[in-house]
Amino acid sequence: MKDKKTLGQAMQTQVKRRSVLKAGAAGVAGGMLLPGTARVALADDKKPLGAWPAGAEGDSVFVGLTVDLTGPYSAQGAEQKNGYELAAEQINAGAPQVQKISPLLKKGILGKKLVLGSADAETKPNTGVQAATRFIHDNKAMMIAGSTSSAVAIALQKVCNREHTPYFTAISGSNETTGVDCQRYGFRLCYFAYMACKAIAPVVAKELGKDRKAAYLTPDYTYGHTTTQSMKEFTEKEGWKTVTNQVHPLGAKDYSSYLINIANTDADVLVVVAYGADAANAIKQAKQFGLLDKMKIVIPYMSAYLEKEVGADVMQGVYAAQGFWWTMEDHNPVAKDFVEAYEKKYGSKPRDSAMYAYLALVLWADAVERAKSFYPVDVVKALEAGELRDSPVGKVTFRADDHQGIVDFPILRGKKPADMKNPEDFFEVVQVVSGKDVLPPVGLLGCKMGDYV
Amino acid sequence: MRRKLPEMLVGLGLLAAPFVLPALGMSPDLLTRILIWGLFGLGFDLLFGYTGLLSFGQAAFYGTGGFVTAYLLTDGVVPNMLVALVIGTVAAAVMGLVIGYLTLRRTGIYFAMSTLAFGEMFYFMENSVFKDYTGGENGIAGVPPPELSLGFIDIHISSGWPMYWFVAVIFFLGYLIARRIVRSPFGAVLKAIRGNPKRATALGHSIQTYKLIVFVVAAAYGGLAGGLLGLFQSYMPPDAFALDTSAQLVIQTVMGGAGTLLGPLLGATIWLYLYEGLQQVGNLGPYWKLILGVVFVILVTVFRHGVAGALISLFRRRRSLPADIDDTASTRVAGSLDIVPPLSTTRPGAPVLEARGVSKHYGGLKANSDIDFTLREGELHGVIGPNGAGKSTFFAMLAGELPTTTGKVFFRGQEITGIGVTSVCQLGMSKSYQINQLFEHLTVRQNVMIPVLARLRGRFRGDLLSNLHSEHLDSQVNAAIALVELTHHADTQVSEMSYGEKRRLEIGLALATGANVLLFDEPLAGLGPEERVMVVALLKSIRQGRSMVIVEHDMDAMFELAERITVLYEGRKLAEGTPDEIRRDPSVQAAYLGGMDDESA
Amino acid sequence: MPSMSLFLSQLFNGLATGLLLALISTGLTIIYGTLGVINFAHGALFVVGGYAGYTVYGLTDSFVLAVAGGSAVALACGLVMERGLMRKYYSRPPEDQILVTFGISIILVEIVRGLYGGVSLSVTPPEWGQGVARLGTLIYPLYRLETLGIAAATLLLLYFVLYRTSLGLIVRAGIEDAQMVNALGINVKRTFLLVFGIGAMAAGFAGVINSPIVALTPDMGFRYLVDSFVVVVIGGVGSFPGAIIGGIIAGEILSLTSMINPQYSDVMLFIAMALVLIFRPQGLMGQEGRE
Repeated sequence: MKDKKTLGQAMQTQVKRRSVLKAGAAGVAGGMLLPGTARVALADDKKPLGAWPAGAEGDSVFVGLTVDLTGPYSAQGAEQKNGYELAAEQINAGAPQVQKISPLLKKGILGKKLVLGSADAETKPNTGVQAATRFIHDNKAMMIAGSTSSAVAIALQKVCNREHTPYFTAISGSNETTGVDCQRYGFRLCYFAYMACKAIAPVVAKELGKDRKAAYLTPDYTYGHTTTQSMKEFTEKEGWKTVTNQVHPLGAKDYSSYLINIANTDADVLVVVAYGADAANAIKQAKQFGLLDKMKIVIPYMSAYLEKEVGADVMQGVYAAQGFWWTMEDHNPVAKDFVEAYEKKYGSKPRDSAMYAYLALVLWADAVERAKSFYPVDVVKALEAGELRDSPVGKVTFRADDHQGIVDFPILRGKKPADMKNPEDFFEVVQVVSGKDVLPPVGLLGCKMGDYV
Repeated sequence: MRRKLPEMLVGLGLLAAPFVLPALGMSPDLLTRILIWGLFGLGFDLLFGYTGLLSFGQAAFYGTGGFVTAYLLTDGVVPNMLVALVIGTVAAAVMGLVIGYLTLRRTGIYFAMSTLAFGEMFYFMENSVFKDYTGGENGIAGVPPPELSLGFIDIHISSGWPMYWFVAVIFFLGYLIARRIVRSPFGAVLKAIRGNPKRATALGHSIQTYKLIVFVVAAAYGGLAGGLLGLFQSYMPPDAFALDTSAQLVIQTVMGGAGTLLGPLLGATIWLYLYEGLQQVGNLGPYWKLILGVVFVILVTVFRHGVAGALISLFRRRRSLPADIDDTASTRVAGSLDIVPPLSTTRPGAPVLEARGVSKHYGGLKANSDIDFTLREGELHGVIGPNGAGKSTFFAMLAGELPTTTGKVFFRGQEITGIGVTSVCQLGMSKSYQINQLFEHLTVRQNVMIPVLARLRGRFRGDLLSNLHSEHLDSQVNAAIALVELTHHADTQVSEMSYGEKRRLEIGLALATGANVLLFDEPLAGLGPEERVMVVALLKSIRQGRSMVIVEHDMDAMFELAERITVLYEGRKLAEGTPDEIRRDPSVQAAYLGGMDDESA
Repeated sequence: MPSMSLFLSQLFNGLATGLLLALISTGLTIIYGTLGVINFAHGALFVVGGYAGYTVYGLTDSFVLAVAGGSAVALACGLVMERGLMRKYYSRPPEDQILVTFGISIILVEIVRGLYGGVSLSVTPPEWGQGVARLGTLIYPLYRLETLGIAAATLLLLYFVLYRTSLGLIVRAGIEDAQMVNALGINVKRTFLLVFGIGAMAAGFAGVINSPIVALTPDMGFRYLVDSFVVVVIGGVGSFPGAIIGGIIAGEILSLTSMINPQYSDVMLFIAMALVLIFRPQGLMGQEGRE
């Protein structure tokens, strides 16, 4: 948790260490004046990397959060912040909940207190990059985390890679994040478009039938296009026909013209690829145009809170993939702990944003414990080691070749309002997909990892 | 030495910053970022603060320069960082030329809106058409850290303080250049364009060209700043092209103080410091932006000319300096004010200014019908007529301002019908206006400099880096000021002068163009009796070597001054002759004076 | 090649969305046309109205009351803005006005986010607006048809007020020469306050009317602000009928582009805007020379 600070004080403390390190303009390299350097130098001949070893001195370590507090994804961003903070609280206390995930975690990480700092990324790549750089240079962050937009995530990944600081996305749907744009220091825990489409296609083919005609509403940016592409690929394999692909500008408010185009075809499934408020608007307007009377909705990659935004009435019968749904607590004790703790602290049920945030922080802490050091290369290698850990979505680990999380995730179907047992009971979990089964084969998405140093 | 004071202060500030500002919590990264915005703002301030052109599309150039530089360096097309920066800057300048040409045809809000539209189009193209080069919404990552190869040594500029110094040097150079531009003849014309574009045009400057050049300069500064951003972050973000970037530039410039060159730097400091700082304070969460908004509104409301503006006026008030005094001007007064020599094509005895069958119709309204008019060499010819007679319209056509519906106007044998005031002025004719058209926020000296500059340099000269003052210029300026007896007010800001003094300046501007034919539109308008006497005497005194046409309501003055008088009535020429002839003409009396009553003064 | 029926459908849809855009833009054009102030808080007022309407709707279940409530809150904001701040800015250059209204827009949007959160809020159309209407082969939401009518009626009403009442006369005289109007003994200050309020109210009104169609998010205002600029520029800065024409044209551009190349629909608006500015800057119906 952050202490209240005055403006000047807050900035001063961040920078004080820097002033010690680099005597003004002279730019003394290497931090020869650091206390404790000698100890590290003796143990290994590791050169300073990123903010290490400076950030690992003292009795606390800093993690920088680049979350969207304002902007179109502020709901997801706020959630992520909650997830990270819950995890940090539990890690620092050595709570039994995190020990169920990582038995190595006792109070703090390697005995040090975990301190979080957050910055508003505003869903803008440059703002995120600015914040991350500041966290690394000024606060000596040992890890950076948080994202909703893939563009921001990819930018952050690249910058953190350059700075040799591990970075964890929270939400990033685009194939490229662990595909062509994969980075040695970037990790994506969450599921993404390829996995979601591969998983949901057979489910909807089974539930809705094999000879369906699909109309796509695709937002005009990389995530939109790759998701549509993946979905087309997998549904066509199941026998579906793609009737039309309506590409709309990102952030479009009025979908009437696209919906009219769709209504003019014989499509009977509407695939909504848009994310956030765009999806809410598209679906809402589709209902108003009467399209939902003859069309079913499929959402291959659903954003959190969409069900609240469109309402249970519209959501009933909708098939969607998401990272996590709270009713998974019925079959998963770790999920139960997580949902309970989150609801106790924040008064609402967590969505997948929060879960991924929480889990990523815990998994990183676990990796550090396994590496027995904060040295970035060791931590990365520990993450790549493939150790399985329990989580709210079952056993998870990272794949070494592309740093993609091997996570299970649910396919959901909207419940009829009459069947809802409480105001949050929007979905029925149709199936929990095995992440391993739907991962793209290594190299399919073009990942070429860089060096450790 | 004093005129170099700002440069020295800025240089000192840049040197001292790394030692002082970290105490306030400013990291080298923040300072470097501020300098990049400051550099971007230098060009924008030239465009907006000095020339008065508010553009909402500067991001287009920032992005162009940035992405060209980043692309060249990441793809290895151009390994030399400095060369890549230069190419990026040039690319941005070229874009500036294209967009400037399209948008500068309009002014004011239309100009602002069209720059906004083009900025958005660039953003769109960056994300679609040029995606392969710009990386689309991902931007270009992996821009190699800057490296200076000086033959015998390679300097690697790492992040942190070395990057700050690199950018600081470039900023300082940019600042020096901007200062030179501001204090050059070119810069003086820019300020005139901001103050009164119509008059600047009439005094002989081709203001469209000036505007275009300064637009290109601003684009170049933007492109350079963009290139530096990519190098600084090793990442070129797509939001460089966003409307947000253009807006942030405007915000920082106005908040810091436009027209000071350092306003954008100051504004960037405040804005970025708050931006970063507010997010670090306690548990503000998303409310940091709300507080930023409140602080911003307060700053803009309290500081009318931005923070820099407030500091400068504080500084000036302490030392009781009235205005932006130019103490580099020489005080020598020329023997006589130069007059443009007549065109060689003039036949002796031929009319100097001639209108043949000139008419102006506005739809059904006939403002002027079929007027013939002749002005001879050295003549002082008056034009009178009751209100609504069409004098102003006729005058505008005589001056080449307004195209005729029928008929032609000739200046020394050369047709000038509707060729525009700038050309006419360069040919040697100038008009003084009925309603003062002055540069209110400049001093008398700075006002008079504008027409003299046009005479000495022609309608356009790209002398951005030259010295403004020269003996010849200054002595001419002083001569003109002396001619209208405003020498003791030479360094007074025009807005602080009395109406009578302004009127004299109005005449002085026309004189300073060196015109050998002068048109005076009601020079005595609004003057008290003593001032009238002074101006009449002035008009008489300047006749040597000049031919003049005067429109006036003051009959006494007119009959005293004019050799010949033309009377207009309801758009037609009613009578023409010597003052005596006119005085006795019954039709004139009827039309003008309302019958056989005595003339009213 | 799109079919005739599709083409006609899109044409009609363009008209409907266009009139809605026109309605959304009137607030901007009223304030700019009368006071010469470019109100960058226009989008934010739209948002404020929408959210206030949502709250009233939740409390009273009456859409009509929601519209009234949303408009009233926006009106109040406008009055406070004018009295508290804008009054100080009339003598200041236009860029200062732009900046302060921009600052106010940030404040308003963040207050809304603070009160309502970032999750988008849905407003169900009123009973008389639910369901669809059949227009030939086109199935069209009933509510959108009704907004066509609402927009037309509101624009007509505003036209009446501005062009047929003495208040409107004063307002239009004030555009021409505020000093003169003042000299004639009319309280120009109060008129300006009222005009600003009406402009703000128009924005808020549009926000509520639009809310059953587009989900409410705190950040949606900016897009509408920029679109309003496009409409106003195309139609004619300061021209009231121009806003209507401009809106319809913008709506048609969006609809028709979607048939051919939907990704370009947004940028087509800017291209149209740029073309108008280059060739006929006063817009299709504006007065020449008015800047």
